[in-house]
Amino acid sequence: MKTQLNTNTPKTKVEKEPALKGTLASVLFLGFFLIFTWVSVYFLFLNRL
Amino acid sequence: MMNETWKVDARDGKLAMAHIYVAFVALALGGLAGLLQVLVRSGKFELPAGISYYTILTTHGVLLGLVLTTFFIIGFQFAAVSRTAGTLSDRVRFWGWVGFWLMTIGTAITAFYILIGEASVLYTFYAPLQAHAGFYIGLTLVVVGSWVSGFAMFAHYAKWKKAHPGQVSPLLTFMSVVNMVLWLVCSLGVAATVLFQLIPWSLGYVDRINVLVSRTLFWYFGHPLVYFWLLPAYMIWYAIIPKIIGGKMFSDSLARMSFILFLIFSIPVGFHHQLVEPGIDPAWKYLQVVLTFMVVIPSLMTAFSMFATFEMYGRSKGATGLFGWLRKLPWGDARFFAPFIGMLFFIPAGAGGLVNASHQLNQVVHNTIWVTGHFHLTLATTVVLTFFGAAYWLIPHLTGRVMTKAMNRLAIIQTIVWSIGMIFMSSAMHFAGLLGAPRRSAFSTYGDAPQALEWIPYQIAQAVGGTILFIGIILVLIIVTNLAFFAPKGETEFPVAEVAEQAERTPLVFENWKLWIGIAVVLILIAYTVPFIDMIQNAPPGSKGFKLW
Ligand code: HEM
Ligand SMILES: [Cu+2]
Repeated sequence: MKTQLNTNTPKTKVEKEPALKGTLASVLFLGFFLIFTWVSVYFLFLNRL
Repeated sequence: MMNETWKVDARDGKLAMAHIYVAFVALALGGLAGLLQVLVRSGKFELPAGISYYTILTTHGVLLGLVLTTFFIIGFQFAAVSRTAGTLSDRVRFWGWVGFWLMTIGTAITAFYILIGEASVLYTFYAPLQAHAGFYIGLTLVVVGSWVSGFAMFAHYAKWKKAHPGQVSPLLTFMSVVNMVLWLVCSLGVAATVLFQLIPWSLGYVDRINVLVSRTLFWYFGHPLVYFWLLPAYMIWYAIIPKIIGGKMFSDSLARMSFILFLIFSIPVGFHHQLVEPGIDPAWKYLQVVLTFMVVIPSLMTAFSMFATFEMYGRSKGATGLFGWLRKLPWGDARFFAPFIGMLFFIPAGAGGLVNASHQLNQVVHNTIWVTGHFHLTLATTVVLTFFGAAYWLIPHLTGRVMTKAMNRLAIIQTIVWSIGMIFMSSAMHFAGLLGAPRRSAFSTYGDAPQALEWIPYQIAQAVGGTILFIGIILVLIIVTNLAFFAPKGETEFPVAEVAEQAERTPLVFENWKLWIGIAVVLILIAYTVPFIDMIQNAPPGSKGFKLW
């Protein structure tokens, strides 16, 4: 599994990593959404303790 | 013939189609039950002729959760292994038919006992609710039939491996094998409770039953069951969608790795459905919750891989900017659009899943209609829309027809209708659930309790959404009927994606079945042995059967 997001590994020019900025942004958004939902229900839980 | 074929052999196609017909008949009948449920729960409608709400709900859960899924999946997988590992041998196909008939006869028997009102025990059917023995016997045939088909697929895979020593198997075949291994390992649990507990008890050979053991064996099966539904959708996402959009797969190894992780981590986790179960030590619940959260890894790998596939494709078509690649995707193609919308719905679905699996948060939502809202996103949207999207090429491929532009348009509309209906119904379920509305109950104001009155607006929204969804079911049935019987004759492609050039070669280790099944078994033993001994040794007196409907 080589095609990953670490863009700073030295690479020869020919074998360029695909630019996946949009993918990075999308998964960050996804992660944020997961945490947001979890925390929201967690506060609901705390409120009802 | 053992090599990849472009077209599924007509005889294999018949076998696959037989499964798909049963699946869509189940969708029609189950969908009707769903409509009745939302109407009842709105408080504006009562079931006629003294029909029990639970008869309808059992019909819905069994037909859609168990029958539609299992039949579609096995039919799809037979087509997929035939397409990628070569035409089935006569023997494999024969056993495929044996499996099909066992499952179909079993379904008919089970459905009969549900419909005559002798088995309103819901699709989870664990004790102490007690059905007529015929219900359990029918289900046994369904499970045995699925095993026969599973072994037929294993035999086909083994034959390919023998003919191709040292080679990596075709991805879709590999994935089908993983899914059937998962199914085999988990359905042993449900077989155990049905054969050793529920059948003897419903026949009156024993009077009392260990409820906790029956629930635990059910959920040992019940969680991997959801991955048995989901993995075929992932097969379509990983191995087929890239071809449909005209791109390449991001990585074959990543796909295989995520399937192996699902195999390992989706079984020893059933306790996350039993977090409020009194008879299980919290330490074991904790362990299984931790294992549950391991499933986040392959899930996020899948999300990443899908985004990357789409972005790579869009950029290869000259897209610029952060999200310019989105515009390059084939939005007008229902084979892409339906599964893609399914993927989007998986984002809130996954978020809800993390809530369900967290012990404290589970107490907020346990047994509320939130849970129903959750799996109408995962199963009834993500998985089902992906299956619909697959049906749009699979059925014409197998019946030698082509989808017309008009049908493609209808399929796009179907997807939109489904999305709108589900946003209404599922959101209403989630919010009502947070306000404490219970799942699995007909309409009641609980003596005009203020809390119960708060739920009513949501129940109305749920009925509106459910009615729109029912229209979605009618639309997809029109499309499927057209594709199976009326669409113009012609050739339709069974798309199978190729791997991107930059991707690394796939190592053979993913097919080291002894290793992966070994790890899965060890984890199962660690997670279940001690609590299970505890349940049996410290069991309270068993329960008699209850028929509460
Ligand atoms: C017209 C579309 C649908 C409607 C209106 C609908 C509605 C409902 C409602 C209201 C419930 C919960 C009732 C209760 O707990 O009292 C329910 C349960 C359920 N639905 Fe659906 N649904 C639809 C489609 C589907 C589909 C396509 C699937 C699966 C592929 C599905 C699977 C299930 C399952 C497994 C249950 C759980 C039953 C139980 O708790 O025992 N539904 N549905
Ligand atoms: Cu689960």
